[in-house]
Amino acid sequence: MAEHPLASNSLNEHLPRDVALASARLILTRWVAGALVILLTALTARLLRVSLPEGPLYLTGAAILFYNAILAWLGPRIHADASAAQLRRLQRFVVLQVVLDWLSMSVFLHLTGGITSPAISIFVIHMVIVTILLPGPSPYVYATLGSGALAVIAGLESAQILHHYTVIPTLSPALHRDPVYVGAQIAFFAIVAFATVHLVAVVMSRVRETERQVTALLQTSQAVSSTLSLPNVLQHLARSAAIALQVRRASIRILDETGENIPMVAAYGLSEAYQNKGLVKLSRSPLDREAMAGQAILVHDAPRDPRIQYPKEVAAEGIGSILVVPISGRSRTLGVLRVYAEGPDRFTQADVDFVLAIARQGAIAIENALAHEALQNADRARALFVRTVTHELRAPVSGAQSLLRVLIQGMTGELTRQQREILDRVETRLKNLMELIHDLLALAASKTAELQEPPRAIPLQEAVQHAIDLVSQEAGEKQIRLAFEAPAEAILVRATPDGLGQIFGNLVGNAVKYTPQGGRVTVQVARQPAGVVVTVADTGMGIPAEDLPHLWEEFFRAGNAKRSGITGTGLGLSIVKRLVETFEGMIRVQSAEGKGTTFTVSLPIAAA
Amino acid sequence: MAKILVIDDDPDMVLATRLCLEGAGHQVLAANTGTEGLKKIKAEKPDLIILDVMMDTTTEGFQLALTLRSREPEAEFAAYRHIPILMLTAIHTTTPLRFGPEQDYLPVDDFVDKPIDPDVLVKKVGALLQKR
Repeated sequence: MAEHPLASNSLNEHLPRDVALASARLILTRWVAGALVILLTALTARLLRVSLPEGPLYLTGAAILFYNAILAWLGPRIHADASAAQLRRLQRFVVLQVVLDWLSMSVFLHLTGGITSPAISIFVIHMVIVTILLPGPSPYVYATLGSGALAVIAGLESAQILHHYTVIPTLSPALHRDPVYVGAQIAFFAIVAFATVHLVAVVMSRVRETERQVTALLQTSQAVSSTLSLPNVLQHLARSAAIALQVRRASIRILDETGENIPMVAAYGLSEAYQNKGLVKLSRSPLDREAMAGQAILVHDAPRDPRIQYPKEVAAEGIGSILVVPISGRSRTLGVLRVYAEGPDRFTQADVDFVLAIARQGAIAIENALAHEALQNADRARALFVRTVTHELRAPVSGAQSLLRVLIQGMTGELTRQQREILDRVETRLKNLMELIHDLLALAASKTAELQEPPRAIPLQEAVQHAIDLVSQEAGEKQIRLAFEAPAEAILVRATPDGLGQIFGNLVGNAVKYTPQGGRVTVQVARQPAGVVVTVADTGMGIPAEDLPHLWEEFFRAGNAKRSGITGTGLGLSIVKRLVETFEGMIRVQSAEGKGTTFTVSLPIAAA
Repeated sequence: MAKILVIDDDPDMVLATRLCLEGAGHQVLAANTGTEGLKKIKAEKPDLIILDVMMDTTTEGFQLALTLRSREPEAEFAAYRHIPILMLTAIHTTTPLRFGPEQDYLPVDDFVDKPIDPDVLVKKVGALLQKR
């Protein structure tokens, strides 16, 4: 079923490495084989006093070691480049090894008695090794060649073209010319060779299939749990299922709130036309109904199956077989996973079990993503509520402030000292109230930042400079030295202008606010390998160590700040932290009470 | 002395604006909605318009500015394009806004932040009238 281009690519990704590994193992085994030929010849000839053609046998052993040395030298150069493009070269290298082995084994067989050699089974070992190491039909070719080589040696020896070595003295010296014996030996050898190769190949193909399934399951699980975004989870799941089954198309349908419509929420490899073929309703789709009831369904001939709601579209898409499985969550069936193949009868019961396992992995990830989405929605709904409420609060306060200023500035006539004092107090209270409203709005906005406006690449220095400009007057009044150091070339970060304004407006604003007369506030922007880092350092009152862990909490204010009489809402830093994290950055704080505070914001650099 | 039209649905804001500008010797007319504002522009031909950004809908002020400043030669308000517009906003100035009489983005001449500071309002009105 290798019909999927991506799937076969992902297999090829492993294949060259497998072949390289097989080749390396062959070379390693051959050192042992060469050494054994020499050692066993010496042992048998010296200890058992068997009359062996010692010289040629030593030579054979030496030849094996010699060509293996060359192969071992060549090997790493060919293995190193185990890319799909080099696969052919790699395969040729393995074939070369096998041919050399056949030659040396044939010589060895010939020298140890040809058809009467006790070492005849050596061939079978080599066949098993090659079958384990190399997938595909080549092992059968080797079994044929092995049997052929034996037949050729036996033939040449019995025809006395080749000298026959009688190794075992008690055997009849004419045995190798006995047609019945020779015929039977060759026939049984061939049977053993083919049977062995076939059995090993069957076992190995099962092992490889299991290995592939485990890998595919693992990859599915990794892909679907790599994200909490529901669309991404569904997309990953559809793709993983198609690749795991080595087909081109897959889709996911999730039952919506109506409990009747089961729309396609993710598709892989399906044409636009097929995806938009029309709404699938549970009451009209027996296939999905059965699947939603927990049943896996095999459709062997899709265009002619009566359970298919859109047979014309299925045929136009070239779909022959469909496999539908339920995606079962903890308490209910969420939807169905479908995989499509081109010809009829393409799926087996084993495929069903496999897709069910994939769907289970998917169900866990989908439920996690749904839970995450629900939490986020709740948070957003609350933020939107706060936004509306604060908006409604702002208008009347703003109106009251405007009227109050008209009074204070004497536009309706002179005020007495006492009247002016009272109105000043009212104005201060209104000002603080307005500040709280603004901060609540900003906090709500920070929670819905990505809803308001998508982040885009914007120059960081400009935003920081603007934040500094906003407080420069206040800093001047307090004789605070306000320094800004930044590289000349613009550094872009992915953020919203409002968000960046909030982040640096709050940090620089706080620094000036909590730094006494004659102090220093230094803002630095530095490009670093991991991103851009902005530090805002002041020589202000600092933050007590026991307050540092609570600094980012909403409405929290450090003890010394509250006692100082400086007003504040305690919302600024929680807004800052939220926004920095929305823009995928990090913020940290270092502070010593009475000495000063340094905030460090790091943000990823955006491509222009 | 100039004739100034304030278009704002918040009566307190209208009163505050009126007190400031009348104190500076201007004549102030008021409209509570965009539609009423457009009617009064035609009827009264004011020297300057003070416009609230958000009224009934969040974009009513913007829409009104766009209608007045439409560049179509056949536009209904082509004759009133030249009247300077001062916009009242409650947008916290964390980020600078792009604006200008010829910019399609926000075709107004200047901004005044809410709550209104009488000095700032009177100065900006004076500057716009001078430029006219």
